Amino acid sequence: MRALLSGIAVAVALLGAISHAHGQKETERFIPIGQSPGVSQKQTSIGEIAEVDAAGRSVTVAEQAGRRTVKITDKTRIWLDRTRLKQANLTGSFTDLQKGRRVEVKYEDPARREVADWVKVEIARP
Amino acid sequence: MGRYNAALLKLRMAGALLAIASSLTACNAKPPDPQAALIAKGREIFFNETFNGNGRTCGTCHREERNFAIDAGFIATLPKNDALFVAEFIPELKQNFENPRLMREFGLILENLDGFDDLPNKFTMRGVPHVLALRTSIASPQGPRTGWSGDGAPGDGSLRSFALGAVIQHFTKTLNRVSGVDFRLPTDAELEALEAFQLSLGRQADLALPLPLRGTVAKRGQEIFLDNGLGKCNVCHGNAGANRAAGNNANFNTGVEDLPDQPARLTGEKVPRDDGFGRPGDGTFNTPPLVESADTGPFFHNNAIETIEGAVAFYNGQAFNNSPSGRFLASTDPNGVGIRLDATQVVAVAAFLRVINALENIRQSLELLTQSEALGFFEVARAKPPLMRAAHETRDATAVLAGAGLHPQAVALLEESSKLIERAEHSLFSRRGLTREAIEVQEKARALLVEAGK
Repeated sequence: MRALLSGIAVAVALLGAISHAHGQKETERFIPIGQSPGVSQKQTSIGEIAEVDAAGRSVTVAEQAGRRTVKITDKTRIWLDRTRLKQANLTGSFTDLQKGRRVEVKYEDPARREVADWVKVEIARP
Repeated sequence: MGRYNAALLKLRMAGALLAIASSLTACNAKPPDPQAALIAKGREIFFNETFNGNGRTCGTCHREERNFAIDAGFIATLPKNDALFVAEFIPELKQNFENPRLMREFGLILENLDGFDDLPNKFTMRGVPHVLALRTSIASPQGPRTGWSGDGAPGDGSLRSFALGAVIQHFTKTLNRVSGVDFRLPTDAELEALEAFQLSLGRQADLALPLPLRGTVAKRGQEIFLDNGLGKCNVCHGNAGANRAAGNNANFNTGVEDLPDQPARLTGEKVPRDDGFGRPGDGTFNTPPLVESADTGPFFHNNAIETIEGAVAFYNGQAFNNSPSGRFLASTDPNGVGIRLDATQVVAVAAFLRVINALENIRQSLELLTQSEALGFFEVARAKPPLMRAAHETRDATAVLAGAGLHPQAVALLEESSKLIERAEHSLFSRRGLTREAIEVQEKARALLVEAGK
C-alpha cells in the first residue's frame, strides 16, 4: 500500500510538472520598451537594428555591449510599441524589423541569447 | 464671568492631560518596522490607487469584506456607479471590455489571456480568485504560478509583476491601452509594496494534517480527504493547501471546462472555451489552496459551482473522471477508479473543508482582536480597522459552519463574539474590555472545533 501511495505521489509530481510556468505574455505587448518588470535589461537587450537578414530570419542589434545577432522564429512575437505616439501598440511582423529602429529583444534562453522570444519595435513617427 | 473662567480652566486642564497622555503613548511607541510600513503602503495602493485609469483599484474586485474575492450576491449590493461597472457607464468600455450580465449574475470578469488581436471572439470569463495565503501557494520549480491558470503576470511572471498586467487588463480608460494615456504603469516601489501586502494576507504556512478535530462528520471528512485510495484529495491539495505532497504548486487539467450546464453558458451569452495555461492553452489550471475555499465561492476558474458540497461532488462526475487528471488517478488505482464518493462522503469532505476554513477565520480574527486590544485608550482610530476585519472573519466562520449545520454551539459562541466586537467598535471607554471578552468567547468556540493547543 505504501509503495502504491508513493507511486501515486511521484506520478502526480510528473503530471503536474508538464506545464512550464512563465509570465502571461499577452499584456506584455502594452508595456513600453525597457519597462517590463524583472525582465527588461535582465533578460532583454535594447538597441538599434543594425542589420536584417530576411533569408536567414535574423536581425543584428547594436546594443551598448556590442552587436548581437538574434534568430526570429515562427513563435517569436513582434509588437509595435507606439507609446510615444500615444497610440495603441499593435502586433507586428518580420517586415517591421527595419534597420535603424529601436528594439527590445527578450530571449528564449537569457543565458545563450540566440533566439528571440519577443521583440518590441519602437514606432516613433506616424 | 467667574463661571466662564472656571470652565476655561477645566478645558485647559483636560487639554493638558490629553497632551501628556499622547506624549506618553508616543514615548511608548515602538520604532517603525520597515516591513510593516511597506505592507501598509501596499494596502493603501491596493485599495486606493487607480493608476490614472478608469477608476478601478485592485480592491474593486478583490474585496476585503469578501475575503479578497467577489461574488454575485455582493455585486448586487453595489451602487450603479461602482468602478466595477465601468463597462456600463464609460462609453469607450461598453464593447469587449466586460460582459455586464455575466458579471452581475455570476461574478465573472473578462480576461484576454490569449491576446488582444480579436477582442470580440478571443476572451475568457473568469471568477475573481482570492489572494489569501499566497505565500504558501504560488511557488513551483518552473517559476511562480499566479492567477487561475498560473500564468497571470507579464514580465518575469512573478507576483510582483502581476499588478502591472492587471492594470493593463482591467484599469484602462479605453481599449487602446496606451501607457501614459489610458493608465500609468505602477512604479517599482509600488509593485514592491503591492507584493509585500499580498504576501502578508492570510496563512503564512500550510497546515499539518491530520488535525485533532472534534466534529464527527468533519473528522470522517478529513480521513477521506487524506485517504489516497478513496478521496485522493491530498494528492494534489497536500495538507488542504495548493501544493502537491512534494511541496510545490502545479497545474492540472481536471476537466472543469467539460462540465455540462455551466451557469454562464446556460444564459446563451458568448463564453468561449477557456484553454487555461499558455497561448494557445494546454487546458491546465492552477491548484488553489483549499483552507480558504468554503468562504470564497463560487468555485473553479469559471464560477461553475456555487457550493462547497457541489465543488467536492464535481470530482465524482464524468467531467473530472474523463479528464487527464481523473484518468491518471484511475490508472494508479487497483480497481481503475478515479474518484468515487457517495453523498455522505461528499458532505463529510465538505464539512472538513468548512471546519478548517472556520478555524482559519477564527485564527485571523483572534490575531486582529489581539492587535486591536493591545492599542491604548487614545488609539481608537488605529484600533477600529482590525476590529472591523475581525468582525468579517467572525461572520464568515459563523456562516461557513451554520451553512451545513455544523457545530451549533460554536456557532452560538461566534454570534455572541460578533455582538461583543460590534459593541467594542462603538464603545469609547469599554473597547478593550469588550475586545478581551470577544477573544475569550472565540477561544471557547475554537475549542469546540479542535482539541486545545492544535
